[in-house]
Amino acid sequence: MNDEKLNTNTGKPGKALDSADSRRTFFKRFGLVGAAAAAGGVAIYSGYSYEENKPNHDMVKVLTADNKLVEVPRDQIKDVKFDQTRLQKQGREGLAGRRFVMVIDLAKCRNARKCIQACQSAHHLRPYEYHINTLTMQESENTAPYFMPKPCQQCDNPPCVAVCPVDATFKRQDGIVLIDNERCIGCRFCVAACPYSARMFHWEEPLAVEGDKGKEYNIELNVPQKKGTVSKCLFSADRLREGKLPYCVSSCPNGVYYFGDENQDAVTNGTTKETVRLSELLKTNGGYHLMPELGTKPRVYYLPAKNRLFEGPVANEKV
Amino acid sequence: MKRISLLLYILSFFDFAASAQEWIVPAENGAKLSPFAFTDSTRKAGGDLFNLNCKACHGDPGKNNSVKLIPPPPDPASEKMQKNSDGAFFYKVAEGRGLMPSFKNTLSATDTWKIISYLRGFNDKYVQEVAQKAAPGVTLEQVTMLLSWDNEKKQVKVAVTSLKEGVRQPVAGAELKLFAQRYFGNLQVDEVRTTDNQGVALFNFPATLPGDSTGMVQLLVKPTDEAAFGETKTLATMKIGIPTYRPPLNEQRALWNVNKKSPIWLLLTYLFSVLAVWALIVYVMLQLRILFKSGEENDPE
Repeated sequence: MNDEKLNTNTGKPGKALDSADSRRTFFKRFGLVGAAAAAGGVAIYSGYSYEENKPNHDMVKVLTADNKLVEVPRDQIKDVKFDQTRLQKQGREGLAGRRFVMVIDLAKCRNARKCIQACQSAHHLRPYEYHINTLTMQESENTAPYFMPKPCQQCDNPPCVAVCPVDATFKRQDGIVLIDNERCIGCRFCVAACPYSARMFHWEEPLAVEGDKGKEYNIELNVPQKKGTVSKCLFSADRLREGKLPYCVSSCPNGVYYFGDENQDAVTNGTTKETVRLSELLKTNGGYHLMPELGTKPRVYYLPAKNRLFEGPVANEKV
Repeated sequence: MKRISLLLYILSFFDFAASAQEWIVPAENGAKLSPFAFTDSTRKAGGDLFNLNCKACHGDPGKNNSVKLIPPPPDPASEKMQKNSDGAFFYKVAEGRGLMPSFKNTLSATDTWKIISYLRGFNDKYVQEVAQKAAPGVTLEQVTMLLSWDNEKKQVKVAVTSLKEGVRQPVAGAELKLFAQRYFGNLQVDEVRTTDNQGVALFNFPATLPGDSTGMVQLLVKPTDEAAFGETKTLATMKIGIPTYRPPLNEQRALWNVNKKSPIWLLLTYLFSVLAVWALIVYVMLQLRILFKSGEENDPE
C-alpha cells in the first residue's frame, strides 16, 4: 500500500513538470486560435448587426392624400397615429346644431337580424353580445306578437349618466350618450340604472379582431373594446360625423329604420334612402316612446306594428 | 240567402284575384327604353350593382336560389321575368311593391338601366332597342334651371331653358322634382311639377320646414327624365325656411350633467358639508387619543 502511494507521489511531480510544458504551449496555441475565433466572431456579429440596423433604402410606392403616387424609402415611413386628445375632445363634444333621432317601424321588422350583424361587426362584438337586439314582443294574451329591435334609447334625461361615479358615460350636445372605456371602472351602476337594459358588460376578454392590437381607442366607436368595462349602442357616432347613416340603419333590408336630425324635421329611411318629415311620419303613424312614464325622454321613436305584409312571430302558447 | 252567397262567391273571387294580382305597369312607363346601348361594361357594372342591392333577396340569376319569402322573389333570369319590357323592369325596380322595396331613391336611372342590362345578359333571345335621342325640335343640350322665390305667391319658381340654334329658349313640359337638402338625404318638397309654355314650374314650399339658424334652406332641383336631360341638377340657397336654433342638449343643469354646470353655492355647500363631517370625525378621534394618553399616565402601575 505504502509503496504504491509513494510511487504515485513520486511519479506525480515528474508528470506535472512534463505536462506544465505542454499546458503552456497548449494555452499559447489555444490563445492564438481563441483570439482569432473571437475576433472573427465579433467581425461576423458586427457585420450582422450592421445589416440588421443599416438604413433600409428600398423605395416603396405610396399614394398620397391628394391622389399622387410617390416613392419613399422604407425606413422613412412612420405609422400614422390618431391624435388621442383630438379624438377624445370631438367625441365628448359631438356635432353642433344636431339632435339625432331614430324611428323604428315595427310594421316592417321581419327579424332579418342584419342590423344586429352589422352592429356586431362594426363594434367587434361576439354573436351573443348585443348593442342592438330584436325582441319578440306580445303585450297580452290576445294581442298579436311582433318583432321589436331595441337599441339604446339615447335618453334626454339619462338615468345611466346620472349614476356614473367617474364621468365615464356622458351625454353630448347632439343627444348621443357615449361611454369612455378608458375611464370606465366597471362598477355597472349604469347597467342597473338603465330601464331599457340597453347596456352590456364585457365579462370576457373582448373579441380579438385582427388589427385591433395597438389600435388607437376611438371613443365614438368603442373599438378596441375593453374587458371589465361597459359598452352599448352609440348611434354609430363615427358614421354620423361623416354624414352617413348608422351601421344598423343602412344594413336593414326591410326599411325598418328611419334616422335623421330632429332640428331639420327630417328622417331618412336606411333601405330606400327616402327622406320624409319626422313630424308627419310620427303623426300619421302614431309614433310612441318606450316607457314614457319614466320621464327618460328617449330619442328613439316606435311606429306600431300595423298593416303588416308578412306573417308575424308565432304567438306564445296560451296558458 | 242565395244572393248573399253569390255575393260572397264574387267577393272571394275578387280577393283571390287581388292576392295573385298582376303587377300592372302604366303603358307609358312600360314603353320606356334605355338611353344607352347595353354593352359588356354596362353588364359588368350592372352585375356589381345587382350583387349589392338585389342579390340578398333574389339570389343569383338563373340559379333559382332566392330567399324563401312569401311571395317568393322571382329569379330575374326566369322566362316570366324576362317577358317584362325594359320599361316595365325599370318601373318595378324604381317603384317597388309589397316586400320589393322602391329603389328610386337608392339607385340612379343610369344604375337601374345597368342592372337591367346585366339581367338581359341571361336572355339569349333578347334584342335591345335603344331610346331615340331627345324629342325632335328640342335640343336638350346645356339645360339650365334657374331657381327663384316668388314672394307674392309664396312659391319656388324654376325656369328651365335650353340652347336652341344658339338662342336660349324655354323648355315646356319638363317634369321637375324639388328637394330640400337634409343631413342624411334630400327631402322632396311638393310633388312633381311640369313646366308651362314659358318653361316655368311653381312649387309650393311648406311653411313649417325648418332652415338653419338664419332660415336658409339649400334647395336642389332635378328633372325626372334623366334619359332626356342627362344627370343634371341645380342647387340654390334661399332664406325661406323657419329660422331654427335649438340649444345643445347638454346645455342645461341636470343631475346627469357635468360638474361645471352646477351652481357655485351648491358646490361650496357640498364641499363644506363634507369637510365639516370629516373635521368632526378627526376631532372625535383626537379627543379619544387624549383620553387614552391621560389614562396611561394616571395608571397606578
